Order: sequence, then C-alpha cells, then structure tokens
Amino acid sequence: MTAQHALQTRDLGLGYGEREIISGLDVDLPPGRLTVVVGPNACGKSTLLRAMARLLTPTAGTVLLDGRDIHATPTKQVAAALGMLPQTPVAPDAITVSDLVGRGRYPHQGWFRRWTAADSEGVAAAMLATDVLDLADRSVDELSGGQRQRVWIAMALAQETDILLLDEPTTYLDISHQLDVLDLLTDLNRDRGVTLGVVLHDLNLACRYADHLIAMKDGRVVAEGTPSDIVTESLVRDVFGLRSTVIPDPASGTPMIVPLGRHHVTSPNP
Amino acid sequence: MKTPTAQAAARVERLRQARRNRFALVCASLVLAALAGLLLSLAVGDIDVPLADVWAVLTGGGDPGSRFVVHELRLPRALLALAVGLCFGLSGAVFQALLRNPLASPDIIGVSAGASAAAVLASMAFGLSGLALSGGALAGALLAGTLIYLLAWRGGVSGGRFVLIGIGVAAGLVSLRSYLMTRAEVTEAQNAFVWLAGSLNGRSWDQLWPLLASAALLVPLTLAASRSLTALQLGDEAAGGLGARVERGRLALLACATALVGVATAAAGPIGFVAFVSPPIARRLLPGQGAALVPAALTGAALVCAADFTAQHVLPGVQLPVGVVTSVVGAPYLLWLLARAGSSGRGG
Repeated sequence: MTAQHALQTRDLGLGYGEREIISGLDVDLPPGRLTVVVGPNACGKSTLLRAMARLLTPTAGTVLLDGRDIHATPTKQVAAALGMLPQTPVAPDAITVSDLVGRGRYPHQGWFRRWTAADSEGVAAAMLATDVLDLADRSVDELSGGQRQRVWIAMALAQETDILLLDEPTTYLDISHQLDVLDLLTDLNRDRGVTLGVVLHDLNLACRYADHLIAMKDGRVVAEGTPSDIVTESLVRDVFGLRSTVIPDPASGTPMIVPLGRHHVTSPNP
Repeated sequence: MKTPTAQAAARVERLRQARRNRFALVCASLVLAALAGLLLSLAVGDIDVPLADVWAVLTGGGDPGSRFVVHELRLPRALLALAVGLCFGLSGAVFQALLRNPLASPDIIGVSAGASAAAVLASMAFGLSGLALSGGALAGALLAGTLIYLLAWRGGVSGGRFVLIGIGVAAGLVSLRSYLMTRAEVTEAQNAFVWLAGSLNGRSWDQLWPLLASAALLVPLTLAASRSLTALQLGDEAAGGLGARVERGRLALLACATALVGVATAAAGPIGFVAFVSPPIARRLLPGQGAALVPAALTGAALVCAADFTAQHVLPGVQLPVGVVTSVVGAPYLLWLLARAGSSGRGG
C-alpha cells in the first residue's frame, strides 16, 4: 500500500431532511496520518464520517477523493480506496470469524470473479495484523467485545484500502480493550501507511493517539492540528462546555485533560 | 519455509474448503431427499407402480397403463410440488436474510396474502380461471410487495419496519379476502377455500409449464442478485463501505423474491409456512454459512414434496390440501419463535 489517496471536504453541507447538521465545512484527512475527530454528542462528527465514506449525500459542497467528487466516482473505485467501519455493524447469526473477515473482500469480487488466492492472502494478512487468526473458526456470536471489534477491524482491513474510517471503534469496550484497538490502529498506520480517520469519545486517548486532531462543535470545526498545538483549557471549554486543567500526559507528554466538576475539586486553578 | 502470511492464507483456504465441502454435502443430500420424494410420489397411490416401471416411464418406455398413471396423473403434480417448494424456500430465505428477521417471510408479511386476495377477487368478481387467475395472483403479490415497500420507505428500508408494515398489510388483505368470500356462492367459496389452503389436487401439466418457465427465469436472477447479500447482511452502512449499492441491491432482491412467491402461489395457492420454515432448517444444517439460499430452496422442494405425499396418503380415501400438512409443521415453529423472541428480547 504505497499509493496515498487524499480525502477532503469542500464547503460541505450535510443534513437529514430539513434539519441541517453541517454547513460550509472544509476538512482534510492528512495522508498517511492518524486523524481523530472529537466533539460533544450531536456535533456532526459521525455524520461527517458517513459523508466522507459516501454513505450520505451532501446537501451542498463536495467530498473529494484524490481531487474528484466522490459521488461522481464509480462505487468500485471508491471501495478500492476507502473503507468504513460503522459504529454498529451487524454480524449475521452464527457467522464464523474467517467468513466475516472474508466479506471484506466483497469489492474485489464480481459476478464472474470469484474467490482467489489473493483473497485468501488478504484475509490472512488482515487476521494476522489484528491477531484474530486463532479465532478463525469460532463463531462471532461467542467472542468478547474486544475480540469482536478486532474481527470487524480485520474485515475492514481485508478490503485493502489505504484510507480507513472508523466510527467510535472503542465504544462499549473496557479500557484495556480500548487501548488494544488504538494500538492496533497505530500499528496499521505506522507499518502499512494506512490513512485513518477515527471518531473517538475519549479526549485523553484522542490526544495521545492522534497525529492530527479535529475538534468539532455544532457542525463546525473549532480547531484542528496536532493535539499539543491545539488542546488548551479554553478549547475544552469552547467545545465541550467543560472547565478543565490541561497538563502533560505523564506517559506520552501529550495534553491530558483533567475535568473539573462542581465537587471534589480542591484547587480550582492549580 | 513458508512465511507467516502464507501459512495463515493456507489455513484460511482450508477453512473455506471445509465450508464449501459441507455446503456441497448438504445440498447433495437435500437433492437426494427431494428425488426420493419424487420417486415415492410417482410409485405410490391407488395403483402402485413398481419403481422399475416408474423408471421405464421416465426414460420414455413403459406400458400404456403405467404411462398414463405416472406421466399424466402423478408426474406433473410431483414436479409442481418440487417447483413450488423451491420457489417458496428461496423466496423466504431471501426475505429473511435481507430483512434480518426470521419472521420476515412472504407468507407472514402479506405478500402471499396479496396473491390470494387478488386470486379470489379475480375468480369471483371477474370470473377468471386457469392462467388468467394465476396472472391475477402474481399481480397481487407484486402489488402487495410494492405497497409494503413504499409504506416502509423512509429514505431507505429497515427490516423491522418492513416486517411490521407487512403484517399490517397482510391483515388488511385477509379481511378484504374474507369480505369477498361472504359475497360468494357456496360452491365458489368452497373452491376458493381449497385453493386458499394451498392444494396440489388435480394439478396437471397446464399449471406446471408456466411455473417452470417463470422459475427458470427467476431463480437464476435471484441467485445473481444475491451477490450483494454478502455485504447487505452486515448492515446498510457496512455494506455501503464495502461498495455495495445498498438500496438498489435490496430492491432487486425484494422484487425477485416477491415474484417467486407470486408465481408459486399462482400455481398452487398460498401453501402456508413453507417459505417460513425452509430457510431456518437450511441454516440449521449449515450453521454460520450466511443466507444459505440454495439449501433453503432445496429444503422447500423436499418439504412440499413430502408434505403433499403425506396429504395424499395420511387419511385413507381423503385428499387433504398440502397446505394443511405444512401448517401442522409451521404453526408450532412460529409459536416457538415468538415465545423465544418474547423471552430473549430478540427475534431469533
């Protein structure tokens, strides 16, 4: 995966029916980097991700894949460049891990081009990268949440795209599995050069893992850049309406947000 | 020394091969079961024809007596049973996989009800019979399917909504049908009731040919359209991410599955529960293999064949409609499914 595709939005407007969620949005997904989108609930971050994956038709503006309107690009070509893992994909009853991962090869197949050795290799590589090979013949139903999420990521990886969008891949996972998933995504980014766009809830994990952070509120980008450059107490207040203290993360040196509520705060402004 | 990826690929390939082998084995067994059912239906009856003579007739020989019994009386009926079961089984499997709901079967969500209401209307109000009546049933199925699709449309179609609206449409169509029956003469009504139970009694080559021709068109179309099912089963967003044309793929599959029910109902009446129980039986035989469309179709064929044989011979001197037998199997499964869904909070 050496070809780097670029994904951008220009003057993008999005909405459901009459309700406008995003307007005039310009966002770039830096190629070869891990970009994290954060923001409060209903700020439009998942909507943005869905539009970037061509799952949602813009009401205005365009999403550009390599400079070309993604809605004017043939579906196959989009699916060859760009994969998307939604927040709640559905596993068919009793499906096995290898079968589910194999479905990631869908865009590589056609009515007359069935399964080939390249498909088996793509699936195998994806399962090795996500460490789910030993689960290959297990039923997805019986896996733990963390294992299941790794299997879904393997499915998306088997598509062999060099852009991968993930909508809250760590939701419903306990903290150690959240770290597993983010470490895995970092490996994919560093070892294979996959461009990642990830929506996350946890600000501190976002700051630690993001090369590029996009903070959204009310359908607008409030700030974007490396976490160390943009994350400040005033940004956290602007975006989340939250009082906080920002200190260097003792493990990584990236910004760490210590939220301040009304109780249990001994030194309001240390 | 193989690389780890090559070893892993070999393992993936082995698992895939094992799955395919099992698939082939199950399909072959189902074909054998259906063929056994076919031979049995040809051999056994008021006049028993030895299997050797059945074989002789099928290969173009045989004495005139056996020839008449096997070729004119029993073969069209048995083939019709297989073809109708095939269409119902395939259609049910498509509906259930597509709408991700074991209740989403054409005989429960109103597609079959549309076919029967239209058939009753056609025969009573317009005095149609034969092929015209079948055409009416097909049109009714397609109309009901279109109506459900349009009512369920909200910038896309979700499974749960489709099923609930389908059940509502079914209720409406059944009451329409009942109203039409109250206006009918007794003999008309009795004929209609037999048709509505789903019956293969007295079916001949005349009903078989249109069905075989339609099935020869619709079954390959459905299987071709089912390619997108691989992606659609993962939910609309994941399917879109994989590059499937979600709404178009779903519409094509729904149209094929609805037409399959229409042509099968036109030929034999709405034989209850075949579309509903065949897919879960097939999925049970092939756990974790997705929609199992072909096995479900074969299960349907074997099931209707066996049910019709039972219907003909279980009570001496009485020919039951085959739908009575399939309902005896299907109704308890429906109850079990509802009870289980009620207690576990999900539909299967």
